Amino acid sequence: MDKLLRKKSYIIMFLAPAFILFTAVLIVPIITAVYYSLCDYKVNTEAQFVGIQNYIDLFTNDSDFATGMKNSLFFMIFSCVTQLIFGLILAALLTNIKKGRNFFKNVYYLPCVLSSAALGLMWYFVFSPKYGINKIFESLGWLERADKGTQWLSDTSGFIILPIIVISFVALWQYVGQSMMLYMAQISGISKDIYEAASIDGCSRTQAFFRITLPLIKPMVATAMSLNAIGSLKFFDLIYSMVPESMRGKNGGAHVLATNLYEQGLRYSKYGYACAIGIVLLIMCLLVTFLINKFVKTESYDM
Amino acid sequence: MKMKKFLALALAATMTVGTLAGCGDGGNSGGDNGGDNGGNSSGGVEEITFMVWDDLDASSDLISQGYKKSIDRFNQTYEGKYHCKVVSTNLEEYYTKLNAEVAANNTPDVFIVSPGPNLDDYVLPGTAAKLDDYLNADGWKGTFTSDAVFAGGTYGSEAKDGAGIYAVPLNIAAACVFYNTEMFEDAGAKVPTTYSELLDACKKLDAAGYTPITISAGTAWCLSMVAGYLCDRNGLNLDDVYNKKTDWYDAKVIKAGEQIQELSQYFQPTAAADDNDVATAAFYDGEAAILIQGSWAIGQINDSCEPGFEKKVGVFAFPAVDGSSADPNRVIAKSDSLAMSATSQHKDAAIALIKCFVDDEAQKYTAEVGGKIPVTKVQYDENVAPPELAYVMDVFKNANATFGFYNESLADTEAGSTFDSCFVEIFKGTDPKTALKPIQDYYEANVWK
Repeated sequence: MDKLLRKKSYIIMFLAPAFILFTAVLIVPIITAVYYSLCDYKVNTEAQFVGIQNYIDLFTNDSDFATGMKNSLFFMIFSCVTQLIFGLILAALLTNIKKGRNFFKNVYYLPCVLSSAALGLMWYFVFSPKYGINKIFESLGWLERADKGTQWLSDTSGFIILPIIVISFVALWQYVGQSMMLYMAQISGISKDIYEAASIDGCSRTQAFFRITLPLIKPMVATAMSLNAIGSLKFFDLIYSMVPESMRGKNGGAHVLATNLYEQGLRYSKYGYACAIGIVLLIMCLLVTFLINKFVKTESYDM
Repeated sequence: MKMKKFLALALAATMTVGTLAGCGDGGNSGGDNGGDNGGNSSGGVEEITFMVWDDLDASSDLISQGYKKSIDRFNQTYEGKYHCKVVSTNLEEYYTKLNAEVAANNTPDVFIVSPGPNLDDYVLPGTAAKLDDYLNADGWKGTFTSDAVFAGGTYGSEAKDGAGIYAVPLNIAAACVFYNTEMFEDAGAKVPTTYSELLDACKKLDAAGYTPITISAGTAWCLSMVAGYLCDRNGLNLDDVYNKKTDWYDAKVIKAGEQIQELSQYFQPTAAADDNDVATAAFYDGEAAILIQGSWAIGQINDSCEPGFEKKVGVFAFPAVDGSSADPNRVIAKSDSLAMSATSQHKDAAIALIKCFVDDEAQKYTAEVGGKIPVTKVQYDENVAPPELAYVMDVFKNANATFGFYNESLADTEAGSTFDSCFVEIFKGTDPKTALKPIQDYYEANVWK
């Protein structure tokens, strides 16, 4: 069988299905999107080539794109930093407890596997001034009337508006379990002998974490950060299900790049323009992944 | 060796078929498609698709329930010949999904649409079919109250398929002011006929401990509807804006903005976050005294309120603005309309379905249960119809003219959304002239160029 599988014709035959599928659902659409991003292409009309006009409009004449870029970058930085910190803390804590590890692992990971739309609706009610946190504050006597308290999902003051900050924390809650699992997988691969040797040399647990665990899981830090960065740049569902329609519509302050793309492409049927946003998003994802892999230097150790 | 080769080939073939299994069109099992691609025919039954902005099986909206009855009646009447398959989505996603279907050459045979820029998107490029021949055959057009009901669906030579009627109206709704008569009485407020009287009524209601007005700024068109009324009452002519005889910094628009800010002190504190359903519920739950809404809200109110609440509801026309020379008897009116795909393979079936929506049974239901104004000459029992409908009919009969929702009457859909967002910004406290800059810029870049 090994001999058979070394034949080029068989290798091609086995690779062909995946390659064809990959090309059909990824490469071809990306190339098509690049072409359409250079066209004026609206619903039911022929695409007309306009060069880089869509990109010029995006960067010079589209306040929603600017808002989306600002909010998406905030999401990315917030997500990378907080998920790194909280993911690591949870992973370090859970690898060091003996009882209930699996239980807590499942608890922290559970939001990752639940529908974002359903979670968005749940958190929408939590932050609704009529039913949620404000109602609790009212019952505790901290607020005279719940509906006159903080408008968690509709306040528009500040450079980064409150709904975006609120949703960032909800996203952290939802996805921190994923980072935790990645770090745990890497930590559990570190040989116990290293910790024992360090302990004999007088190394405390904190020192062991910073001197042994952290350097050895650096490759996973780069991977998790890349996943977080890409995920937060493409972030869409919680915004869509939590903030009022007027805030993610035209000139809405809660736009991210993905909601902007959705609005332009599917609400106003400006497919060419939406493709241009998609291409910018793709380039940003590639750039961020490249930068993270370049600056989070990883070395391989024999663990 | 041959066996191994055969096994390898079989494996590769299985993988290919397996991986591409999802790429087929699903044949008859999909069900959602079937418009432009010929629809489905099984056992001699022609299947047509109908796309609508509500889940007809689950909706509590009485008008939607009426649509379901019409479809059921169509399926029963034409059993063995035609069958209608409903493709439903929620209102917010409706045009998004419809555009995606159109772009994918899967235009539903029949689809619901609002006249205005939304209908333009389907008529101008030739997606919607011209219906004149069908309307003129066998006196169908004569069953409607007047030719005026077709105004929103009538196009000139700008339509790809030439001048004619492209949409059949199903019902008419007028935007009115609903009020809680008990709260008004308790607060000593009078039904206002002018803007200053409206402010006075709000002041009294506020002093009596009631939330004077419930409105949604979270769903932008609700606030924009009030803004449209104020612009109109201040004398703004939208055609003048379109033809650049004036612009969006016109004193009448600025004044409408200032009035929105003045009124907003009487809105419920959560207006910015509340969506349309939440804001409407605040009215029928007895939390607020005034709801400015289309008459389609009658169905929603009567279906969801406590028994007897409908007797407390009164309706008045949006007040005039003091000192304005504009006609105070103009009413915002809107109709749900049906369009047929120009490339439908089942046009006769599609027309038969549309007829089921405007036959006597459907139109009686529209008035007597749904609380909307019928579009045909049907006789309905006024004693059975919701009491609010009589008030709405009074407002409608006293109207000198109707006009469309501003966000559906501007140059295109994006202009409408920009208008909505400008007034949401004004409501949130931005100076009107600053807040109106996006719509001014949009017109300069896309309409007046």
